[in-house]
Amino acid sequence: MKARLCILFLFIISFSECWMQIADCGLLKSEIRNPKSEMSRDAAIKLFTDANEKYMQASKLIAARNNQEAEQKLKDAALQYEIILLNGYKNGQIYYNLGNTCYRQGELGKSILNFRRAQRLMPRNTDLDANLRLVKNSTEDKEVSSEVPVVIRRILFWFFLLNQNELIILAVSLYVVLMMLLFFLIILKYSWLKRIIIGFSTGLFIAVVSLGVKGYMEHAISRGVIITSKCQVRYGPGEEYEPKFEIHDGAECVIEGEKDNWYRVYVYVGVKQDTRSKTSGEEKVDKEIRRGWLPKKNVDII
Amino acid sequence: MVKYVRYFSFLIGIVLIFGYVEKTFAQDINLVATVDRNVLTLNDRLQLTLTINGTQDANPPSFPSIDGFTLLYGPKITAQTSIVNGVVSVSKGFTYVLQPTAKGKFVIGPSTVEYKGKVCTSSPINVEVVDTPQSSQSASPDLEKLVFVELSTDKNEAYIYEQVVLSFKFYFQKGLPISDIDYAAPATKNFMEEKLGDQRQYEEIRGGIAYSVLELRTALFPMVSGELAVSPARLKCNLVIQQRRQQDTPIDNLFNDAFFDDFFGRGQKRYPMERVTGAISLKVKPLPDQGKPKDFNGAVGSFNMDASIKTQHVKVGDPITLSMSVYGDGNIQTISEPLLVLNNEKDFKLYPAESSTQITNRDEVIRGRKVFSKVIEPQKTDLKFTPVIMFSFFDPRTGQYKTITKEPMPIVVEAGEQEMPIQLTISGSNALLQKQQAQILIKDILPIMTNLSSLRNQGDSVYKNPFIIACLSFPAITVIASFFITRHKERLQTDIGYARNKRAHAIAKKRLAKAQFALFNNTPAEFYSSLSRAMADYLADKFNISAASASGDNVSVLLKQRGVGDDIAEDVSHCLTNFDYRRFSKDGGTKNEMDQSLKLAEQLITKLERQL
Repeated sequence: MKARLCILFLFIISFSECWMQIADCGLLKSEIRNPKSEMSRDAAIKLFTDANEKYMQASKLIAARNNQEAEQKLKDAALQYEIILLNGYKNGQIYYNLGNTCYRQGELGKSILNFRRAQRLMPRNTDLDANLRLVKNSTEDKEVSSEVPVVIRRILFWFFLLNQNELIILAVSLYVVLMMLLFFLIILKYSWLKRIIIGFSTGLFIAVVSLGVKGYMEHAISRGVIITSKCQVRYGPGEEYEPKFEIHDGAECVIEGEKDNWYRVYVYVGVKQDTRSKTSGEEKVDKEIRRGWLPKKNVDII
Repeated sequence: MVKYVRYFSFLIGIVLIFGYVEKTFAQDINLVATVDRNVLTLNDRLQLTLTINGTQDANPPSFPSIDGFTLLYGPKITAQTSIVNGVVSVSKGFTYVLQPTAKGKFVIGPSTVEYKGKVCTSSPINVEVVDTPQSSQSASPDLEKLVFVELSTDKNEAYIYEQVVLSFKFYFQKGLPISDIDYAAPATKNFMEEKLGDQRQYEEIRGGIAYSVLELRTALFPMVSGELAVSPARLKCNLVIQQRRQQDTPIDNLFNDAFFDDFFGRGQKRYPMERVTGAISLKVKPLPDQGKPKDFNGAVGSFNMDASIKTQHVKVGDPITLSMSVYGDGNIQTISEPLLVLNNEKDFKLYPAESSTQITNRDEVIRGRKVFSKVIEPQKTDLKFTPVIMFSFFDPRTGQYKTITKEPMPIVVEAGEQEMPIQLTISGSNALLQKQQAQILIKDILPIMTNLSSLRNQGDSVYKNPFIIACLSFPAITVIASFFITRHKERLQTDIGYARNKRAHAIAKKRLAKAQFALFNNTPAEFYSSLSRAMADYLADKFNISAASASGDNVSVLLKQRGVGDDIAEDVSHCLTNFDYRRFSKDGGTKNEMDQSLKLAEQLITKLERQL
């Protein structure tokens, strides 16, 4: 019984690894055939390398206090990154490098926007997290953090460590293995296979639910980043409405609806409560949602 | 044997306990005379209590000589045993009630008692008998004497930073019901203060009256010199007096009992009282300049010092943690770091010490320990000893400065590895303070990514990939197919009717082929035999009946029951009858008729296959 389990386990593991490789190759092949992507991989790599080189040169120029030339190099690098992306060739590295370039150019909002986009594709990248944290700390609006607690991140690690495509591959892998197990169960009628099937079914269920939640969070909820230095959030969709509050470059908001050229958004703001006592000496900060309308031109959707 | 051991153990225990009690009894035997008041009128009665502390088996003390009083009754003897914190104390009281007979000042003379050859004498008590007052108010007892407060210090003069014990005492006559005590501590500006121990409770006799005393003590450390004042302390409390109610009805009589009064708190009247102490003036002297050591940092008290190191064998540049513990009486919190005397400033690299303070005793005075952990790094290999440690303080008891010197401790310093000087911190005066943490000079983003191998297009969703779609559909189809195939096989093996039903058409086809072969050979008997068997066996398999039962009539009925059309049922019935007839008759018919019969049979079987 144990020997059979071990053999099955080894078989499944080897199958999964093969499957991941196959899926990876499949991705590459699909990209070449992808009608949306007008740019070949070679062309993207060439442009990407060129943009990286410009960024590096700009960094050296900044160190040498030659800001004017550095600015031009950064501008060129950003343009090349954007060309790759506009041609439908999307990769976390490109977004990350573009975020870095925008930060160097002083465009905090665009930098956060691109880091957030990169985060969807590279959720495990720690450099990206560090850079995003740094840029967020540089913004004027110190909004209340809506980060998921570490405990939950650890418990639901697959959800936070895998991007949408990886979750799909995981779910499909589990599905294929489950089907194989079902096939063997039907043919060979080993009763012990039922327990393994229950395990894989549970795994598949969790993967599918995670995929659904991830898809909902990434596609059904529109999040935006303010890309202008100052943005007045008004009571209604138009200049005739009074400004309600003001947010600045890099502030993140959730878009609830739109009308004409205006988005209805809400943002989380920290409201300090003066609850200082002699004993505690602590200051409580509550999270509050503030809603309003802002022009579409001031915000870019992640 | 065990029984005897137990017996002796019990005896030894009893002897020890009683021996201990006897020892306690034998100690501190004294006689105390107290009165319930020392000013009274002719209408009052004086309660005199003679208490022998330390024993309960002494004879009654001699009754003191008292002028101006007559003994009404007594003695009422009470014995008391109390154990507080394991200390047994016993006493025996003799209470007399006296009636004054004349006005004036009288002295209750000393009383004596002899116990085991030791004679104890009580102190005399002054008592004054005054006129009977006219008003009822003035007849009430003098509460100022029954309840009062005192604030005092253990010394009137002190040096700056010297420990002074401030004592607040609340006196109230023993047995007086006091509740709701609210104490407001005095303001101690220009002093540092530390609470000393817990509240103390004891008895004290003043003017022949026994008082219960609550004492709160605080250690004060004057921070400036000159005449410093401690403001008065205040205490608020309630005097609870039980009042008897008038008994009006039998029910009142029933419930107007002390038990019910105590239980329901009724009949109690609270008299709020407030007592204020006087202010205290303390002369604080500055520390003398004469003999002041150079390394003196303001420590005042009585201190000692220990020093130790954790490691003796180190390499050049390795840290040695020097632990210096200063302990003693005084304001331990404000003690500064002891001085390290270096022969050469470049011998050791010194880092600021970390300190931890622990108050070890708060009972009488503030006593504690302050431990300094100082990291020193030897910079040369020829260093054999740690630096000399010096700590100076002013001892207010002797009025002199004292210096504790700890001799250097031996160390062995070996040559260290050559290190590249990496400048992580800003050089300057604060460099040493920031030694333990690498200072972040500037915050900057991490560099860009240049990994070309992973530069794939991640924009497209994987689910659109044909391979993924195939992987989703193919296994499902395989599993479903395998399921039905397996089930089919199982039924074929277990369900005879199903198996015959499934095989019927194939067998019928074989028989029809055989009939066709017979037609080709022009053997009518064999032809119709095959044709008849093909039809009959087919129907028998389909209805899971024996071939013999598949006669024309039976089959017609069964076919109609299964919903087959009447025309087909009739044709089948007719064919079966016709084929059997031809099979056994010599009228085989023409070849053309045989061919027609074969085609008819094939058509019928095909139709039946569709409908059954």
